[in-house]
Amino acid sequence: MAPLKQVVSSEGLFDMLREAMKELPVIAPAERKDQPGFHHFARLQQAEDFVPDYVTTTLPPKKAFFQPSETLFTFTTDQPPALELVSDTEHFVLAGVHPCDLAGLDALDLAYSQPPAEVRWPADRGLATVVGIDCMPDDYCFCSSVGTCLTRQGCDLFLTKVDRGYLAEVYTPAGDTMLAKVRTWEPTEADIRDAEQWRERKVERMTAHLEADPAEIADLLEAGGLAHLWKETAERCYSCGSCNTTCPACFCFDMHDEFDLSLKTGIRRRTWDSCQLLEFALVAGRHNFRQEREQRVRHRWHRKFLYLYRRLGRAYCTGCGRCSRACTADINLVDVTNALIAHARKAADHA
Amino acid sequence: MPSSSKPKAAFFDFACCEGCQLTVLQLEETLLDLLEHVDIVTWREVMTGESESYDVAFCEGSITRERDVERIKKIRETAGILVTLGSCAGIGCHNAVRNKWPVEELLQKVYGTEEVVSDAIPARPITAVVPVDYQVLGCPISLPEFVSVFKHVLTGRKYYPPNQPVCVECKLNDYLCVYEKGMICLGPVTRCGCNAICTSRGDACHGCRGLIENANLNAMVKVFTEMRKLHPIMDAVADRHRPTLEQIRRRFAVYNNWPELKLERGTTHGA
Ligand code: SF4
Ligand code: SF4
Ligand code: SF4
Ligand code: SF4
Ligand code: SF4
Repeated sequence: MAPLKQVVSSEGLFDMLREAMKELPVIAPAERKDQPGFHHFARLQQAEDFVPDYVTTTLPPKKAFFQPSETLFTFTTDQPPALELVSDTEHFVLAGVHPCDLAGLDALDLAYSQPPAEVRWPADRGLATVVGIDCMPDDYCFCSSVGTCLTRQGCDLFLTKVDRGYLAEVYTPAGDTMLAKVRTWEPTEADIRDAEQWRERKVERMTAHLEADPAEIADLLEAGGLAHLWKETAERCYSCGSCNTTCPACFCFDMHDEFDLSLKTGIRRRTWDSCQLLEFALVAGRHNFRQEREQRVRHRWHRKFLYLYRRLGRAYCTGCGRCSRACTADINLVDVTNALIAHARKAADHA
Repeated sequence: MPSSSKPKAAFFDFACCEGCQLTVLQLEETLLDLLEHVDIVTWREVMTGESESYDVAFCEGSITRERDVERIKKIRETAGILVTLGSCAGIGCHNAVRNKWPVEELLQKVYGTEEVVSDAIPARPITAVVPVDYQVLGCPISLPEFVSVFKHVLTGRKYYPPNQPVCVECKLNDYLCVYEKGMICLGPVTRCGCNAICTSRGDACHGCRGLIENANLNAMVKVFTEMRKLHPIMDAVADRHRPTLEQIRRRFAVYNNWPELKLERGTTHGA
């Protein structure tokens, strides 16, 4: 069903956040204090700090639900040990989420609902009211290649820039409540057309494209014969993990126990992990089943475009481009994927 | 000093700036918590008196003279557990920069033509001279890691120095990568554990904690010395300063000199 649409002025959008901030913390893209021109998702101190037209952030908004490093529970060394869960119960607003990042949240909803289901992720997800916003791509964005350009899943309210402010699509009662705090207007045909044109412009401006759709990429990867490409990519890869730690669709983590100085109590901490790191696949007996860098590089592509595509029915890539922006070895996901598409197609033609 | 059943700890220094010891002192109140678990019997920088017997020896600095070799061997024999503090003790750090020149030549440069009697030897980390049970790396060490290693010592657990690059900590803290500002950083090949303290202040990582295992130095050489078209962010970096192989070598040479770093095309260290 088509969502209810309303128009809110640009000032009205800030007023809406200001109203929300009276009751709840608001996490949204803001300019980095130490580095103007760059943005991050942060808890707003004042509504004016929200930057509606940011291009991207280093970390995706998933960090609002799944912190890069967080305490799961405390323990004691008693027999049996006394465990106490540590969890967030604070409601919040997550605003300024681009469609690709909504797709990232959606991808994690799906992954974490597989048995044995995650308990923490859905609980934390339930704490937030999510406000999406449409965007313009930079040289690294390629959402139109993975079908995430128009994602609205999981958002309560979605905003698109129009001439006289923003066209707001209302998806849930929570979104409606937020919007109801400020003055809105019925959209005119011009507003609807503005928003459509925005979406058209967004796709037109996209310069990065995958040369095949996810279904074909999965088949090509499955057919194999790409060893030299993995090797070539691995030769310039640091195995630094930044392509995973910045990815909205990655969900792996590691866990550690830490004692405090009494040596009688401690915490279990979980932190984001990355399959590109040397010790990711290190198991008991110091055996590492992906010791070679090229095995890890291949794993990243297989994981994003083959295994999870087959198992969960979607590529685990939202086209956000963060991995390529973050890579200090200049490995670009779109280029590498296109190189292997070209190679695999050529190989298929010769077969 | 009252006798107790607590293990006895001693601090020793070799060639270094003693910054790691000073860092330990910055523990302030936490130091009192540590003293619940150990008695400190020798610590020249902090107290008078010393003891011939101790259970845990914390040693900082590099080995640069024959007599240092004897001294660290004696410490090793006495202590049940030897913990190195800092990169001088762990990877040679700045001390090993001088290994590029023969000892005689250096002595002459420093002391002139006069005949000098010296037992100087090429500088090396403690880890290259005696077996070491625990290592805290860093120039200087990071306090949270020191405390963590201390707890491992007390509970008799093995401690593996972090083997992930600084990029991991940088990203987990959501810091802006300095490459985005056109700087070059050694974080992708440097061991973390410092919680990316330098990049948190907008500086690049200079590699003070040494290389991660299997560091791909080749990647850096490839990115900056291959004249291919780079993507916008990396292009902005290369545009400002596309370093030569020699310049890359020099950046590593601030901290990473032991063993001598052979930086050339196709280099991966310590597979
Ligand atoms: S990938 Fe698409 S949805 Fe994401 S920021 Fe870029 S243009 Fe927006
Ligand atoms: S960010 Fe680049 S260098 Fe780092 S692991 Fe990923 S592909 Fe390799
Ligand atoms: S793989 Fe790269 S482009 Fe795809 S979602 Fe992850 S960070 Fe974004
Ligand atoms: S600033 Fe340095 S350590 Fe941080 S992500 Fe960038 S390259 Fe890695
Ligand atoms: S960021 Fe690099 S130079 Fe700075 S403390 Fe950490 S390892 Fe050392």
